[in-house]
Amino acid sequence: MISQILGLVMLGYLLVAVLFLAAELWSSPRLQSWGRVLLWAGLGVHTGALLGRWAGSYQLAALHSAPAVFTDNLRLVILQAPLSNFYESLVFFAWTLPALGVISFRRHLQGYLGAVVAVLACLLLAYASFGGVDSRIKPLMPALKSNWLLIHVVTAFLGYAGFALAFGAAILYLLQDRRPRASLPPLAQLDRLIYRATVLGFLLLTLGILTGAVWAETAWGRYWSWDPKETWSLITWLIYVTLLHARLLKGWQGRRIAWLAVLGFMAVLFTYFGVSFLLTGLHSYLT
Amino acid sequence: MVTSPAQRQPKSRLWGSLTSIRLTVFLLLILAGVAVIGTVVPQDQPPGQYLRRYGQSLGAVIYGWGLARVYYSPWFLVPMGLLALNISACLVQGLPRAVRRSLTPFTWEAALALPERGKFNWPAGVDPQARINAVLQRELGACRRETLPDQEIYLFERGRYRPIGPYLVHLALLLILAGGLIGKFWGLEGSLPLDQGEVARTFEVGRNQHPLNFQVRLDKFLVQYYEKGGIPKEFRSDLTFLKDGREVARATCRVNDPVTFGGLTFYQSSYGSRPEGPVRLQVRHGGLDQTLELPPRRPVDLPGGEAQVMLVRVDGNLQGYGPAAQLALRGGTGHPQVFWVLQDHPELGQQPDHYQFRAESIPFQFYSVFQVKSDPGVWWVYAGFILLLPGFYLAFFRPAARWAVVLEGAASGGFKVRLLGASPRHREEFALSLERLLEGLEKGAPS
Ligand code: HEM
Repeated sequence: MISQILGLVMLGYLLVAVLFLAAELWSSPRLQSWGRVLLWAGLGVHTGALLGRWAGSYQLAALHSAPAVFTDNLRLVILQAPLSNFYESLVFFAWTLPALGVISFRRHLQGYLGAVVAVLACLLLAYASFGGVDSRIKPLMPALKSNWLLIHVVTAFLGYAGFALAFGAAILYLLQDRRPRASLPPLAQLDRLIYRATVLGFLLLTLGILTGAVWAETAWGRYWSWDPKETWSLITWLIYVTLLHARLLKGWQGRRIAWLAVLGFMAVLFTYFGVSFLLTGLHSYLT
Repeated sequence: MVTSPAQRQPKSRLWGSLTSIRLTVFLLLILAGVAVIGTVVPQDQPPGQYLRRYGQSLGAVIYGWGLARVYYSPWFLVPMGLLALNISACLVQGLPRAVRRSLTPFTWEAALALPERGKFNWPAGVDPQARINAVLQRELGACRRETLPDQEIYLFERGRYRPIGPYLVHLALLLILAGGLIGKFWGLEGSLPLDQGEVARTFEVGRNQHPLNFQVRLDKFLVQYYEKGGIPKEFRSDLTFLKDGREVARATCRVNDPVTFGGLTFYQSSYGSRPEGPVRLQVRHGGLDQTLELPPRRPVDLPGGEAQVMLVRVDGNLQGYGPAAQLALRGGTGHPQVFWVLQDHPELGQQPDHYQFRAESIPFQFYSVFQVKSDPGVWWVYAGFILLLPGFYLAFFRPAARWAVVLEGAASGGFKVRLLGASPRHREEFALSLERLLEGLEKGAPS
């Protein structure tokens, strides 16, 4: 049931992208606002689906061991956040894009930029729905039973989302830079958006790495074990440290920063997908 | 003492390189590259693995050059050490100035020294104070006013402590690296396998036994599944700590729920089962039943003498289905067939060709393996984590900017207004504010 709803949300995001593109092509403020309304609606339903899945996995867990007192119950609620397998992480990642987008881009989240974000969210949901990803709710294995799961996954994926937004802005920047178009946002504005989203992503990824380290310390007694996912998140982090220093200290701007944002996002994608498929380690959800 | 430039040159050049951001970027990229190698080349395998996987020559290079433990090799440690030096040098060079700047109040003298950004002549008849206040309030926020004999200065400052932010971040990174080093040198990390009922007085650190100054006993190990054939729910070890044979504490150790005693922390890291005596089996072959006793890892002839069977291992709770024995059957020259026989679920598991096995009794004992650790560096690392937060806040969310509006009476009876301001590290935001301030001062804030 929830997977069907998410299928609708996916179509909704696709329609948002179409509306935003059409709005640019015909310079129609009316289509822009329809796009925004539909984006908010999609985000609302998406949020509902996440909460529904949360409730579902809570109920399943409560069947296995009914919590007696309030604190146990609260802990069970925290543990059962729908973030514990690959499918759920895809659905959440897809949610973070428009969610962080409306926070960090505000009114700029429309037109081409809005379309890029909507397409990325749509692709993630499409992968979750049709990529042969196991969508069943499963009980938690012992390693995942930690209060840190929620905060770790939420911060890490919000960080990815920040970088995805920066990537979207960077792609538009590079297009605009190659062949200026009046309908694309001005370069200076895109440059600012790249920076703003990168800072947000960097802050959140850092929090994700820190909470992961604290979690690993309580679970395995090692805050850092050079697991491939950890290492790749560090590589990603180093790329963005480089970007921020280049911009703040060397005054890099524009094209070079945009390319660094693209490179950084490639590292994000590898951290998320590549590590899970190509390398093995503590984080391999897929096996 | 006077030093000539020639004498100072080499030292300052070294210092210059050590504090350069170019070195930082170079080191960060090297570290990223080495880290990539570490995720592509499997780490910490025995040498044979590399020879087999990469061939004789490349395998030998990988192992011999330390790429098999790359994060502990000079490839990684040297740039890491240089990065630490780099950060420290920047800290030494920049922190005092940053602190001084943060402690310097924004006076009217400082304000008058800011670069001028705009100039206006207002006719008599406007209310200059009201207009300036309204514009500044709308674009920036509350500001201070200083009155001098012939002019009034409106001052606005934001992000005064911002220069400290990056240094807090860098200090935090140094704390984290220091924590890592402290852990390496003063920490202790080992493992402790314990059978049910066994009492340990030592644990393994590398290849050595390290004494415990207490004893620890595994009372019970338990693995639970949500449902048979499903996902494990809990691995749990009940431990008792003893001193001089007397019980002093009991605790339950689970994954994500370690136990600390006597300065050491015990983490549930793995478990297994060990056969405790021979497994009794019923074998059916050609319509005949026979009983068979299999000791661990010793081939036994099957009735008829055409095949041999061996007990490979036992599992005390195979995927939640209860005790099980894994057997290898070899008939003639073919490959051995390996299969599980479950005591409580004879219907599960694949039987080999021509024979049918049923387990009557599978005596086993669980053992549990603990990661045992003490790491005085963890607190340094955590202190670094915590220090990062105010550092990030100051560095990224408190853009430093100083503005001043100077108001003077003009000979004509009107007013001369000058806008001054600076924000060295936040040019775009500054430009935006500047545009709006100029517009506001030009036209007056819309009411
Ligand atoms: C991986 C490690 C590092 C991280 C995460 C990091 C982070 C930061 C951050 C967030 C800033 C604030 C940006 C700004 O000032 O405008 C900054 C600034 C700076 N960083 Fe780093 N940094 C790192 C390593 C280094 C190293 C090794 C150096 C030494 C050369 C360095 C030198 C500087 C300097 C000089 C500033 C400018 C301070 C100022 O604003 O006056 N950073 N760094």
